[in-house]
Amino acid sequence: MRPHVAMAVARTTFREFWRSPEAVFWTYGFPLIMAIVLGFAFRPGELPPVPVVVVEGEQAESYADSLRQHPRLKVEVLPEALGDRALARGHTALLLKVKDGKPVLRADPTRPEAEVARLLVERVLRDRDNGPGPQIASEVEARPGARYIDFLIPGLLGLNLLGAGMWGVGFNLVQMRTQHLLRRLFVTPMRRSEFLVGYLLGRFVLVVPESAAIVLFGYVLWGVPLRGSIAAMTVLVVVGGLAFSGLGCLLATRPRTIEGIAGLMNAFQLPMWLLGGTFFSNEKLEGIVRWAAEAMPLTHLNRGLRDLMLEPGGWSDVTWPLIGLSGFACACFLLALRLFRWT
Amino acid sequence: MSGSVAQEPAIELRSLRKTYRKGKKTTVAVDGLDLVVPRGRVFGLLGPNGAGKTTTVEVCEGLTVPDSGSVRVLGRQWGTGNDQEIRERIGVCLQETKFHEKATVRETLELFATFYGNGRPVDEVLALVSLQEKADARESTLSGGQRQRLSVATALLGKPEMLFLDEPTTGLDPQSRRQLWEVVRSFRAGGGTIVLTTHYMDEAHQLCDQVAIIDHGKVIAEGTPAELIRSLGAEHFLEVDVDTFADKVRPADLRALPGARACEMTAVRAVLTVDSVHVVLPALQHLLSSRQVAIVGLATRDATLEDVFVHLTGRHLREDGKP
Repeated sequence: MRPHVAMAVARTTFREFWRSPEAVFWTYGFPLIMAIVLGFAFRPGELPPVPVVVVEGEQAESYADSLRQHPRLKVEVLPEALGDRALARGHTALLLKVKDGKPVLRADPTRPEAEVARLLVERVLRDRDNGPGPQIASEVEARPGARYIDFLIPGLLGLNLLGAGMWGVGFNLVQMRTQHLLRRLFVTPMRRSEFLVGYLLGRFVLVVPESAAIVLFGYVLWGVPLRGSIAAMTVLVVVGGLAFSGLGCLLATRPRTIEGIAGLMNAFQLPMWLLGGTFFSNEKLEGIVRWAAEAMPLTHLNRGLRDLMLEPGGWSDVTWPLIGLSGFACACFLLALRLFRWT
Repeated sequence: MSGSVAQEPAIELRSLRKTYRKGKKTTVAVDGLDLVVPRGRVFGLLGPNGAGKTTTVEVCEGLTVPDSGSVRVLGRQWGTGNDQEIRERIGVCLQETKFHEKATVRETLELFATFYGNGRPVDEVLALVSLQEKADARESTLSGGQRQRLSVATALLGKPEMLFLDEPTTGLDPQSRRQLWEVVRSFRAGGGTIVLTTHYMDEAHQLCDQVAIIDHGKVIAEGTPAELIRSLGAEHFLEVDVDTFADKVRPADLRALPGARACEMTAVRAVLTVDSVHVVLPALQHLLSSRQVAIVGLATRDATLEDVFVHLTGRHLREDGKP
């Protein structure tokens, strides 16, 4: 491989990208904005009230008054039909109906808020029947590093590397194929490896600064810490980005249409969005879903990022994520080099 | 490079065959094509859309792998460890390429220049294709003609021995076409070989030393433009429009005119293939006047390669029938 050719390709690729404000925004600006918006949405603070409905009838008002005593419950008394409708639409987490003088709770336990509502309502009803139980003091977890926002920001960083790597690399590559530019490059003495390395460099150069921006915003706005090794963190970001760029490159080796690559990208990206441990911990998953989550590079990247941001982790804490992601990146690039179609 | 290789033709294709399969349908693009392109010539591949010109050129460029047959380009074969060398020695202008649209003309040429070990300076190539004034313009702001010249410029950067130009002037205005013709002529004057595909007959006539007419994936005629036209047996056409021939004049009457070789006729129009217009014309006027047929319009034109194609296949090269 001739380094000056790869550098020329990298320069051209970067220039083409940098001169397209829309592409820069959607690849780097938008994920940053999304991280900030989600950060504000899940910032530490008061929990939202839990809505419950008491069905109109005998003793309904009495039960409603008791439930209203609890500061977390938002109580409404409705006719049965309207109550059922509110439950079906998710406007309320739980329905309380008095039957034969006894309260009956109805809720879908697979909804997380339903379980919270049931626990709160049961507590109120126990206190009402048996007198106040022991008061348990509770504290709001507000220590940096232990809040949901601290969990979320490293996940968003991983998600951003996934998006920038896959879309930034793969999508544009297929576009070059549809415009016959790849064919034109193929009939020159430029080698495949020179092109792919240069192209990746050109598309990848902004990934590290953008990741730094997300970490910085997290720290300044919500005090999300970076407790581990900065050097290990930088390497993990680069390796993680390369892993997803490699995947983007591999997926883009064959499709001849924009629709084709968009479909392929979504097929690989969506499961990682859901199960990659960005928005909730995937370690509580079970069975085949857990296996699937463990097979995803995003899971290991997110785990490594959290080890380095939320704990004073070092190289030894991210050895396996680094090895796994590097291996994944190498396998993707080697396969891409082999399968790459210029026409 | 060995002496025998240097003396080999620029291109030698033997029994070339290429098919494309889509679902259960197989299309034969090139069907046992034989072709020899000598060095130092402008060689035209002529044929209608879908004739197999582009596939043939793409096989020569190494873009398409043939199903069977042998391909030698500048004495070398693709896929035998010489691919890089061949690519260093050829320049390619594809039928359609969209370069980086945010890059300037100079930036695009600088990128391509890095691919070649011993290329031409960018400024020299800019001058060759008359794009100096557009050197700092982005690709997206160029006209069709300027884009095509940029494409040719990228092909010239590596000091190629042979240029492939696949329909380089399609869709261009007359001035842009002439500018590209000048580039071709100057490359030819420098001793280079050019393989040109086109369906513009005037272009082939003006530029090509030698022409191969391709139809249904085969070469159906080959020679210099003059030789091919001479093969028609006559070099001029006389077209006459009348009120009506009715039964007053028959094709045999027109063919019997002195100097007339052939005749195609409808009720109100006749096209005569003739050796000498000045001999046929007075005799034609006399014949029509004596049979009381009124001439509505009269035109003469030289025979073209289009006429050769029509003569060989019964079809026009272009779907709209225009030469």
